Amino acid sequence: MRAVDVLVVGGGPAGCVAAWEAAAAGAHGVLLIERDRAIGAPVRCAEGVGGAGLREFLDPDGAPWVSRRIVRVILVAPDDTEVRLAESDVGYILDRTRFEPALAERASAAGAAIRIGTEAVAMARSNGAGAPWHVTLRGPGGEETVAARVVIGADGVETMVGRWAGLETRVAARDMESCAQYVMGNIAFDPDAIYLHFGPSVAPGGYAWVFPKGEGIANVGIGVVTLRSDGRTVRRYLDDYVAHRFPGGTATGLTVGGVISGVTVRRTVTDGVILAGDAAHMINPLSGGGIINAMKAGRLAGRHAARALAEGNVTAPNLQPYHDEWMRLLGDAHLKYYKIKETVNRYDDDFFNRLAREVNHIPHGKRTLGRVMASALVHHPSLLPVAAQLFLQEFC
Amino acid sequence: MSPPSGPPAPPAPAAPRTRVAVVDGETCDACGLCMPLCPPGAIHMTRRGLVVDPVTCTGCEKCIAPCPVGALEMVDARG
Repeated sequence: MRAVDVLVVGGGPAGCVAAWEAAAAGAHGVLLIERDRAIGAPVRCAEGVGGAGLREFLDPDGAPWVSRRIVRVILVAPDDTEVRLAESDVGYILDRTRFEPALAERASAAGAAIRIGTEAVAMARSNGAGAPWHVTLRGPGGEETVAARVVIGADGVETMVGRWAGLETRVAARDMESCAQYVMGNIAFDPDAIYLHFGPSVAPGGYAWVFPKGEGIANVGIGVVTLRSDGRTVRRYLDDYVAHRFPGGTATGLTVGGVISGVTVRRTVTDGVILAGDAAHMINPLSGGGIINAMKAGRLAGRHAARALAEGNVTAPNLQPYHDEWMRLLGDAHLKYYKIKETVNRYDDDFFNRLAREVNHIPHGKRTLGRVMASALVHHPSLLPVAAQLFLQEFC
Repeated sequence: MSPPSGPPAPPAPAAPRTRVAVVDGETCDACGLCMPLCPPGAIHMTRRGLVVDPVTCTGCEKCIAPCPVGALEMVDARG
């Protein structure tokens, strides 16, 4: 049986960075597997990231995996009143079919092996807490069982690694945003801005977005918590939204998927297992942003896996520092954002319409997201300290 | 419903599982959103798309509305 030190399940942002960091931190025998036939595809994402978080990993200047640099945020009220914010350095819309391969190349250059078209179909512990996990892989060459001292589950919202390892990764319906998105051409919008459209009649429990991929072409999507919906599927919400906003547009691609808008799972580690990214619900519950979160979690997961291996102890207590460091880095902030989201979910269309008109009286140069949030939250002063920067950190 | 007279009906057994979820493979995009919503973990990703294990499915319907494309529906369980 083939033996590896680290098996990373899933070749998204969390898995690619985890493999990259584990190998760079000195772990030998790092294997990354990706179920799909291509790393980075199919795209199930609006592809937006904040600039600061991205630059911690890769330099976006002139990179082929950048679709568009974004310099403005435009909030839209249910009655279509637009609020142009004054932020200048917002972030990027990625081409994830190229972005994840760029991450995977870094992992490979650091020494990780990568296998595409290969999925984990079963996982069991061979012999007690310190023993390797036996993971059955199914790929182009048939089935093979690999012994892995550490398994990093970066296998997304549908994580099976978490389930096999006995970690609680189920999601309550109130914390699941159903998303649908078209790639649309022949539409008019500011190609240097992202649009975030709020209001329960537009997108109950979530928001609609326009993320430019280029001039006249954008990801136009919507996220809805269907517990709050009026019975339409999210695809219908999207069709109705597009018919209203972009009646002459051409949809050239459809993407659907789930965004978990809860908080980090209570346990992200067990003996020989670390969960990272969507698999561990590491998503900004307000913005639905997951890419940078996943990469930061992947970095921690890779480093802690390498550390624990070097120490010869991959049991849960020795992997727990990963969980603790994640909570200090972002997990605790997500708990706060979750509370804010619960408040925002109580606002009706009329509130957002009045807010938009009110903040448009603020001179444009001073109309920052912080100011808008401050106005929005004037009746909830306890939320003020955490109001700013929520979407700008990362908005996909 | 109990009849209007006669001895009280015996306590109902655990609610019989009369309905289960099924995936319409033509509509399903295999996004996996429904998998973590399923309390017993009855939904599986296969090479041929998502499938619901009708034995494990409890008929709770938590997967039905969230499906972005409406690919899940409830049907009468057989046997």
